[in-house]
Amino acid sequence: MSRHRWRRIAGRIGLAFSVFVLISPALLFFLWMLSLSLKTEADNVAYPPVLIPSELTLDNFREVFAKNDFAGYTLNSMIVSFSATGLALLVGVPAGYGIAKARASASAALILVARITPGLSYLVPLFRLFQWLDLTGTLLPIVITHLVITVPIVVYVMIGFFEGLPNELEEAALVDGATIWQAFRRVALPLARPGITVATILSFIFSWNNFVFAVVLAGRTSRTLPVAVYNTLTFEQISWGPLAAAALLVTAPVLLLTLLMQREIVAGLTAGGVKGG
Amino acid sequence: MLRRRTFLTGSSSLLAAPAAIRRTRADPVFDWQQCKGQSIVIAMSKNPRADVMQQHQKEFEALTGIKVESEQMPEQQQRQKMVLELSTGRPSFDVAHVSLHVSKRIIGQGKWLADLRPYLANPQLTSPDFDFADFSKPSIEAATQPDGVLDSVPLESDFWLVYYNKELLAKKAVKVPETFEDMLAGARTLTDKASGTYGFVGRGLRNANVPVWSNFVLGEDQAFVTPDGKTLLTDTPGAIAAAQTYQAIMRDCAPPGVVGFNWNECQTSFMQGKIGMWMDGVGFTPPLVDPKKSKIADHVGFAVMPAGPEAHACSVFTDALGVVSKSKNKDAAYLYIQWATGKQMLLNLVRAGGGASPRLSTYADPELLKDSPFGREWLATLLASAKMARPGLPEIVPVTEFRDVFGVALTNMIGGADPAVELRKATDAFKPVLEKSLQG
Amino acid sequence: MPDGIDAPRETATRRKLSRRNYARSYWLFILPAGVVVAAVILFPWAFTLFMSLQDMHVGSAMSFAGLANYRRMLDDDRFLWAILRTLYFTSLSVFFPTIIGVAAAVCFNKHFPLRSLARTIFILPMMATPVAVALVWTMMFHPQLGVLNYLLTSAGLPPSTWVYDSATVIPTLVMVETWQWTPLVMLIVLGGLASLPADPYEAAQLDGANGWQCFRHITLPLVWPFILVALVLRAVDALKAFDTIFVISGGGPGTSSETLNLYLYQQAFAYYDIGFASAIVVVFFALIMLVTLLLMRRRSATS
Repeated sequence: MSRHRWRRIAGRIGLAFSVFVLISPALLFFLWMLSLSLKTEADNVAYPPVLIPSELTLDNFREVFAKNDFAGYTLNSMIVSFSATGLALLVGVPAGYGIAKARASASAALILVARITPGLSYLVPLFRLFQWLDLTGTLLPIVITHLVITVPIVVYVMIGFFEGLPNELEEAALVDGATIWQAFRRVALPLARPGITVATILSFIFSWNNFVFAVVLAGRTSRTLPVAVYNTLTFEQISWGPLAAAALLVTAPVLLLTLLMQREIVAGLTAGGVKGG
Repeated sequence: MLRRRTFLTGSSSLLAAPAAIRRTRADPVFDWQQCKGQSIVIAMSKNPRADVMQQHQKEFEALTGIKVESEQMPEQQQRQKMVLELSTGRPSFDVAHVSLHVSKRIIGQGKWLADLRPYLANPQLTSPDFDFADFSKPSIEAATQPDGVLDSVPLESDFWLVYYNKELLAKKAVKVPETFEDMLAGARTLTDKASGTYGFVGRGLRNANVPVWSNFVLGEDQAFVTPDGKTLLTDTPGAIAAAQTYQAIMRDCAPPGVVGFNWNECQTSFMQGKIGMWMDGVGFTPPLVDPKKSKIADHVGFAVMPAGPEAHACSVFTDALGVVSKSKNKDAAYLYIQWATGKQMLLNLVRAGGGASPRLSTYADPELLKDSPFGREWLATLLASAKMARPGLPEIVPVTEFRDVFGVALTNMIGGADPAVELRKATDAFKPVLEKSLQG
Repeated sequence: MPDGIDAPRETATRRKLSRRNYARSYWLFILPAGVVVAAVILFPWAFTLFMSLQDMHVGSAMSFAGLANYRRMLDDDRFLWAILRTLYFTSLSVFFPTIIGVAAAVCFNKHFPLRSLARTIFILPMMATPVAVALVWTMMFHPQLGVLNYLLTSAGLPPSTWVYDSATVIPTLVMVETWQWTPLVMLIVLGGLASLPADPYEAAQLDGANGWQCFRHITLPLVWPFILVALVLRAVDALKAFDTIFVISGGGPGTSSETLNLYLYQQAFAYYDIGFASAIVVVFFALIMLVTLLLMRRRSATS
């Protein structure tokens, strides 16, 4: 009996230790990022490194805003991610429904191809196309290329959700004389709202994080945040503080969203890895 | 060619004559306000030159009534992005800040920047005190395309020199090197791996490292290609000897990880006070002598590039400004260039330590001579370098690929590979690329 | 609904009718997405194939080149090395996240206090903006001032050169990749674990099986299909990895971390050789397809 108890306690300790080992790389990394962004330059280049700042400073953040049009880039990123997500929902939610109902696995496979194509391979032809259409330097090409990420995410999450919905309610509606569109609009769509939330969050996050499209397509006024941060890379001296502050600012919205919506995100990602680009 | 140029000069001055006369009557000085109300965008490469231009930007706006937007981007990205944008025919900028040693030929090939000769010849657009003849001959040669088109005006000549830590050298009684041999021997004496002290630091990063090798090659009285730009000289005995020097000093005397160092990492390490000598461009001086950033602010030394076995030379890289052909405000853009490369601004540039001026008059400035911002030694080094400078990279279209291919060879050498073998391999790999670019 | 005695029959016919319409009309739902996908995916493909047959440089005229761009690959050492390097990077970047991800899923499938918080922290690396994360890693890798070498030396280990040495650069990048993408494997496997039935475990416990035996003989076979899904996704993502490598090492030192994706970027946007870059895209895509199909075939074979 007591041997059994001992084993249970040992198991508990083992589990606690494993969880600690598993989360500490992530935890320490983000703490170090935060620490870099709040320290003075002297602390940042000190060796041995200083974890707890000798004095806290917001100068790094101030410098980021003073030296760059950070507000403008944030606006660009917002416009791009919201438009790309909105458009993807517009076409992706019905598509997810259609594929789930018609069991159209060929269409699903075509969209899967978008998932495996390297992002760079779209860039050369699309760059030429946008050049020909005289659109380079505007946000439109970036929004369009981001559809490559957001549409598959939305379609995949929605297929999963619609497949999980019981058929009976829609069938009843159809029997009652509703058109297919009405059955979708009035019955399936309201039920799928949690799925749409998940799809929106995930597609927004992965569009926000995307780097490679904008690094080539964006001009001075159409740059998104990840590219802007990459461009602030200045190693005139080690200016780690402002760099860490800028990095933190870019990723903070995404990290907060993850912390707040963790249940939805876990549900969406568990359904089948969706990361795009 | 000559006839056409004379014709252009003649006709444009003829056209400009009435306006010039009118102006002389109303206001004898040059009309800086002629493009008032226009706005222009400057695409700058992130370096000390750009800082100086931005610091004085307000003065230009007040002088001309032109609204200026400018932006600095890290040089590698800026070079790529600039060419891509120019190639679209719809660039987002009016003035291009060009690294001539990288982008000159590809820009000339695409005719993306306007020929400035008519502008220079036009007294309505060019102020009489601009004095184009004041620019040094090599700098104008660097800015002139092979077909004679002048599509940019030189902004800065970045001479390469040796920065050294006076304290460290004194401690080990190492003399300021006069030859590469001295430098290697001195660096060996200074290196004490146990205490983390290293005699030398230089760029090891692929692509960025080629200019270091270039200085050793110049010391062999050699260039990378024949003057016609058609035959590679990168596997000659001189080039190999230069690579051996590079390998020896980088392997034996440089800090660990140097293979990933660009100038910024070199600068950082050097400022920490544990490096004896650093070979790089003169434009990187200011942070070194800034006590807030540097631990060695009061004992940085400046020395001209040591002599090689065959020649005493240093490399020079030229930055320039050009007017985008497709710009809608070309005159305003030209006024900006004229202002930024004018006598006063280039003096400001040197005073701020942003690099060396391509204008001869800068070095005749009595005040600069009296109190040089970084001491006499710095100015003397600059003047001496100007006399022995030679272009550090070949004038070919695929410069980036050249730097990458030979850059890899150099990083391999730091890893221990045989210089002769690596150079032969790289030369073979690059030969078809060069031939291809000559056909195009 | 109309009244009448034959209403049920009418309803039945209508149901049959609408069933048929129903099936056809679904295409209308899929159509808009289909158009978007065709426009942003199929067009680039077709155009890439076309460009791969041209001699095409930014800033100069274009001419037909036949298969010259493809032939050039065979002699291009840098290209061939990039393929080998990509496969090396990929196999390590599939192996470690899969092992750790499965272990993590087993842990997070158990109940313990603050489980959802711990799980959220664990998945943060994959949600964070890759460029931002890569910049911070770069600072941590600094050979003299970086915090990682401090941690190593404090633990009595020799300092590493991290991304500043051709021997250590790929393992270091794999470490970052593992840190970032293990959570995805964990989540997928966790989804599998959550759907497992309880009875086999009860039976096994009655038979006196220990934890490892349970895992090896019950859990692993049951979640194997999920692990394979994770494996496929991981392989595809690792083949395509770009952001972190581009920011952290840029393919260096030398070309020692230059994967196919980076070489492709360099050809297209630094050397402006659009024709050759397009040919690389074609081969690269074929490689990804091949790896995916091989793994998928294994998947259908086992299931």
